[in-house]
Order: sequence, then C-alpha cells, then structure tokens
Amino acid sequence: MRSVSVIGIGETKFGKLADRSLRSLLQEAGEKAIADAGVEKTMIQALYMANFNAQYLCYQGHMGPLASEVLGLGTIPTLRTEGACASGSLAFRQAMIGIASGMYDVVLVGGVEKMTHRKTEEITTGIASAADVEFEANLGATFPSLFAMIANRYAYEYGNPREAMTMCAVQNHENGLLNPDAQMRKKITAKDVEAGFPIAYPLTVYDCSLVTDGAAFVVLAASDIAEKISKKRAIEVIGSGHAGDTMTLASKKSLTTLAATVNAAKEAYAMAGVKPTDISMAEVHDCFTITQILNIEDLGFAEKGKGPKAVLEGKTALTGSIPINTSGGLKAKGHPIGATGISQIYEIVTQLRGDAGERQVKNAKIGLTHNLGGSAATCVVNIFRGR
Amino acid sequence: MKRTGKIYTYTIVYSTSEDFKDKTPYALAMVEENGCRSVGILDGYDGKKTVKIGMEVDFSREDKEGCPIYTLA
Repeated sequence: MRSVSVIGIGETKFGKLADRSLRSLLQEAGEKAIADAGVEKTMIQALYMANFNAQYLCYQGHMGPLASEVLGLGTIPTLRTEGACASGSLAFRQAMIGIASGMYDVVLVGGVEKMTHRKTEEITTGIASAADVEFEANLGATFPSLFAMIANRYAYEYGNPREAMTMCAVQNHENGLLNPDAQMRKKITAKDVEAGFPIAYPLTVYDCSLVTDGAAFVVLAASDIAEKISKKRAIEVIGSGHAGDTMTLASKKSLTTLAATVNAAKEAYAMAGVKPTDISMAEVHDCFTITQILNIEDLGFAEKGKGPKAVLEGKTALTGSIPINTSGGLKAKGHPIGATGISQIYEIVTQLRGDAGERQVKNAKIGLTHNLGGSAATCVVNIFRGR
Repeated sequence: MKRTGKIYTYTIVYSTSEDFKDKTPYALAMVEENGCRSVGILDGYDGKKTVKIGMEVDFSREDKEGCPIYTLA
C-alpha cells in the first residue's frame, strides 16, 4: 500500500448559516482546501463527497457532481458516501484507499450538511432515519433517547457519570471559545448544563451536539509526491480502521462498550504501530456527552469505567495528558453531519502543523480522529503524523 | 402464566420527532424478555411514576408490527 498524506484543508465557519446555499458552502470550503494545498485543479483526479441527509433536509441528492461542478473540477469521477454521522470519515477512508491502491495520486474529499433552516421536530425526524426506522424511530426512539438509554445503563454498570458528562460539555465549550470556526463560542457552567432544558433523561440540551450548517474539505496525495506538488507540511495518514456493529441499539452485545469503536481503533492502532499513550490529542465523536466518555474508554485513553475519573482529573482538558476535542467537538464547534468527520481531520491537521493558535497542543506529534455513525453502527478511526 | 419483561435501560423523552411530539413526556425503555431486548414506549407512564433499571414490566399488547409493548405496574 502506498502511503497517503493530507496536503490541504479548508472549512467554512460552522453555525446557523441560513442565508447560505449548499453550493456556497461547498464552494467556500472546497476552494479553501485546494488553495491551501496549492495544487492546480487539473491535478485532482477524483472527488469523494460525504453528505448524510440533504435529500430530506434540502431535497438535494447527488452531492458529488454538485460539488464538482461548483468547484470547476470538470468531468472527474465523483461519489457520495452516506454512513449517518460517520459519512465524512467514510469518504476520507475510501479516498485514502483510492490513493493507497495506486489508482489515484491526488484526490479531493469533502463533506457538507445544511440543517438549521428546518424546524426542530423535522431535524429530529431527519436524524432519526440514521437509526432503525422500523424498530426504533417508528416506536418513539430519537437519537438523544438512544444515547440517554446508554447513559442510564452506564450509570447502572459503573456509577453515575453525570458530573463527568457535565465536565465534557464545559471543556468542549472552553475549547470552542478558542476556535474561530466554532458555532458556539460561549463559556458555559456546570449549572447551565445540569439545569438545561431536558431532552431525554438524563440528557439536557447541553449534553447534545449542535444542529449546524457547514462544509469541510481536505486534499489527499500520495506521500511520495506530496512534497513535490505542495509547499504545505504533509500530514501522513499512518493508520485507519473501519468497523461496523448492529443497526439497532437493542441488538448490541454491550451498550457501554461500543464494539465498532473498539474494533476500528484496534485496526487503526495496528496499522500505525502506535499505542493509545502515543497519541498527542484526539477528536472524538461527542454526539452526546456520554458518548465522549465511552469513546475515551473504548479508544484506550482510560480503562473501562474509569473515563469519568480521567475527565474529572483534567486529563482530557487542553492542558491535560490526552487533550480531547481541542476544536470544541461536535458540542461546541458543531455537527454538520456529513462534514463532521472531515472537520475532525481539519482540526488534527491544524494541530500537527502547529497552526492551532491559542488552542495549540504542545509537542503535537500524533493525532487521532474518531467518527461514529448511528447508534454506533459504523465507526472510522484515523491516525495522523506530521512528516 | 403472566408474561413479563425486565427493564434493561430506559429514558424519559421530552423532545422528539414530529410523529411523537403530542405524547411527551413519555417513558422509552429497552426491555429484556427471554434474553431478547426490544425498544418501545412503556404504557402507563403518567409523568410521575418511577422507572428503574431491573424493574419488572407486564406485557401489555403487540403493536401493529408485532413488536411487544409493556406496561408499568
């Protein structure tokens, strides 16, 4: 397999961008990534485009050619990936495989979602389609309710994680405050979180990730040509793992150890030849605060059941031993579903280049991204190193 | 013989999709019966009753898809 590197990144500001069209989001983020890489558009051989649900939310399908036309990429092949909230990482991984296989040398990967123009109930319905519609959504389950059931089961098996869940929200908001692209640049207190509007017990509105408009793109190239075609410091993809699990939450072996994360991480760590203790910082999928705690454990940053303790001891804070979600995460940077996986890679590349400004992690050498789809039915983990 | 299940986990839903917004707040539970788990709304939740993991719930009926619906005692 050929080594693959990220040579360019671009994203829109995340937020409620009601006056922006899908085209305008695609154009801004795509042009930024191509300009950042400094490559000619004619060098891009394929586009892998992630989008979760524009067909329902915007009545727009076929996102690949739309993005390609907007960006002036001519007649290159495009394809769209959909794997719920993991759509972005799936596009990234397929693009990486495209180069690693020798088929392509330079490819563009993007993700986009436009959500905030719809009413809350409509958005909830749209997102619920990432669960099993027949056995979950049609029976009254929503995404927050599925993860709320995970939180209550976790409390039963390992003790109540409420205080640590709150700390995850507070910390992610503190990090988001330092990220100019973040949707929520606002400090919140523990009281705000726990007294927040109830969504699904024990989750309040502050335990939930945001509804966001935004797009993010990266340019990938074969590492052996990266330095010849781009002046940017190449960031090598040293590991990648992709795993699945049952669609329904009820069929999962465990609700408190997410098998898709464990298996994707195992594959990525083995390919990279690194251990959890080698990771400088990670962007993990905090769709809900309880998920951030499970992720910390399932990725090997804390023992099972000890995630809350690690969070409360400050290990996952910006200055801790394993900073988590330095971008603000899905909670504060935002969760434009199809773009989220690419947005996580944007942050890790920014950190590894040393360009993260006030939120820069010292001695950032190896970074990890973790992106979950549905109620942990799809997971992609990627590991990156600066060259 | 009375058919019962045991609550494996649960939540109380306050914010939901278009189809269920008139029912909030409702208790959603994952119930285990004969080693098999399923998710559904519990009958008989009045906004006050205690719901707990491990609690026994009675089988109440099957919905139109044949999924079991349980009721709080």
